[in-house]
Amino acid sequence: MTNKKRSHQAEVLIEGMAEKLNRQIVGSLVACVHCGNCTRSCHYVLTNPDDPTFAPAYKADRIRKIFKRHFDWTGRVFPWWVGAKSIFTVEELEELKDIVFGKCTNCRRCSINCPMGVDYATFNRMMRGLLVSVGIMPEGVAVVSKDQWEIGNQMGVLPEDYIDTIEWMSEEMQSELDDPTAVIPIDKMDADIVYTINPREVKYDPRTISDAGKIFHLAGENWTMPSEGWDMTNFGLFSGDDALGGAVAGRVYEKAKELRAKKIVISECGHGYRSTRCEGPNWAGMDVEIPMESSVITMLRYVREGRIKVDKTRNTKSYTFHDSCNNARSCGLFEEPRELLNLVVTDFREMYPNRSENYCCTGGGGAMSMSEYTPLRLKSAKIKADQLRETGAEVVVTSCHNCVDGLTDLIKHYKLGMEVTQLVNMESEVNKGSGFNVSIPRRSIALSSNDFK
Amino acid sequence: MIFEWEDIKIEVDEDGFMQEPDQWNERVALALASTEGVSELTDEHWKLVNYLREYYQKFGIAPMIRKLCKETGFPLKKVYELFPSGPAKGACKVAGLAKPTGCV
Repeated sequence: MTNKKRSHQAEVLIEGMAEKLNRQIVGSLVACVHCGNCTRSCHYVLTNPDDPTFAPAYKADRIRKIFKRHFDWTGRVFPWWVGAKSIFTVEELEELKDIVFGKCTNCRRCSINCPMGVDYATFNRMMRGLLVSVGIMPEGVAVVSKDQWEIGNQMGVLPEDYIDTIEWMSEEMQSELDDPTAVIPIDKMDADIVYTINPREVKYDPRTISDAGKIFHLAGENWTMPSEGWDMTNFGLFSGDDALGGAVAGRVYEKAKELRAKKIVISECGHGYRSTRCEGPNWAGMDVEIPMESSVITMLRYVREGRIKVDKTRNTKSYTFHDSCNNARSCGLFEEPRELLNLVVTDFREMYPNRSENYCCTGGGGAMSMSEYTPLRLKSAKIKADQLRETGAEVVVTSCHNCVDGLTDLIKHYKLGMEVTQLVNMESEVNKGSGFNVSIPRRSIALSSNDFK
Repeated sequence: MIFEWEDIKIEVDEDGFMQEPDQWNERVALALASTEGVSELTDEHWKLVNYLREYYQKFGIAPMIRKLCKETGFPLKKVYELFPSGPAKGACKVAGLAKPTGCV
């Protein structure tokens, strides 16, 4: 055996691994037969076919080696036979960081296509968490996590600025609808819906807040926005830090409970939806009795029930739909957004592959906040660019803020000239032409494309 | 990374945001604007850019869009007209700010 001295960080990482090994992860660590099926699933491999280090099985083996050396009897007895290898130096940990943060977006496309049921993305996230626990992570992940821990949301928005912005959007709604009752209620007790958002909406682009507000108002919804616990995004999902995940999701549940809300509605955000609705209760160790749903389902229900009326003939552009990995693959949300989109557009063009088999926007897993990997991210986006181009659509619609940014970046890089929008984007200018038109008695507003051009 | 435009040569990060804010000047702003689909900087652009710079120099972060609109008097729509890629990616980049953190 080697006499290499193990760094303290590596020691702590190995000790931490023991705590993380649940049945799902161990099953994934031992089941790989190296059949290579995963290479046909991963967008990194599909765009870098000559580089075997992008293969999910190869990346997984970097983690598997450590597991085998320390936790699997075969690796303890015959390390040379099963490829078991420990980890020692900080350089090795840094190398691991570049794999788990820089060469995988945790999109889970390989996971659902693995015949052995290996969920690589899940233990890739585990390794992210272990590295974070010893202070090794991309700078962007550290900055955002700190804000989410300390200030309560991932963009460091202060409480008074949040309230000020919501009130501003209330005023915008009132003047656009010419209706003094069109307000965004804050902390209203016993509301049927408490609406939670992504801090990006409040910090940089609050149009989605007033757009959603208009829909709730026109549907006659008894709704509110919380003064705290409004950030449904969760960097714990990206950083692998379950404690952060639990703290952030817990704030949302606690506030909704305090307000005695009947339902938590999550604005269009893939990782936020997965974190808040699917993973959060486990991280937080809470039994959450309040039902939760994506705003896509809420909006679809309004149209189905006739609470808002839509006139799709007003919309003449060609549209395609991109599935967020977290929505589609991890939470099964892929038919509802298509149904809603088809209710508001006449020219819908499916992209292939689609639904749970769709490719990642290539900016998932927190990649948009890790600038050091941007060149590789954009290079590996070629498969996504080709897929978008083949639809021939003018606009790509998605139900995720992060996908909006990931897609916008690659569309610019590959000069596709497509617009990107979300389902919620509505504007009150009926005559804007490019909009999905929503009409209600004596008033009409247009659901339109975002101004990303 | 080095970004070059005409006679301008500046250090930028992988997303094209400035690394050394001290190197910023009006021609640099014009160079950065060319990467965000803005070919000419009007007085209205400058009003926005100058506000962003002042705020950034004071607080070290980008302002909320609410503050930006309040202080410049521009409605939200106008900001998107001036910088089609939005306040975070477009206006902040041209004003020489570092890349905003988080999901942007």
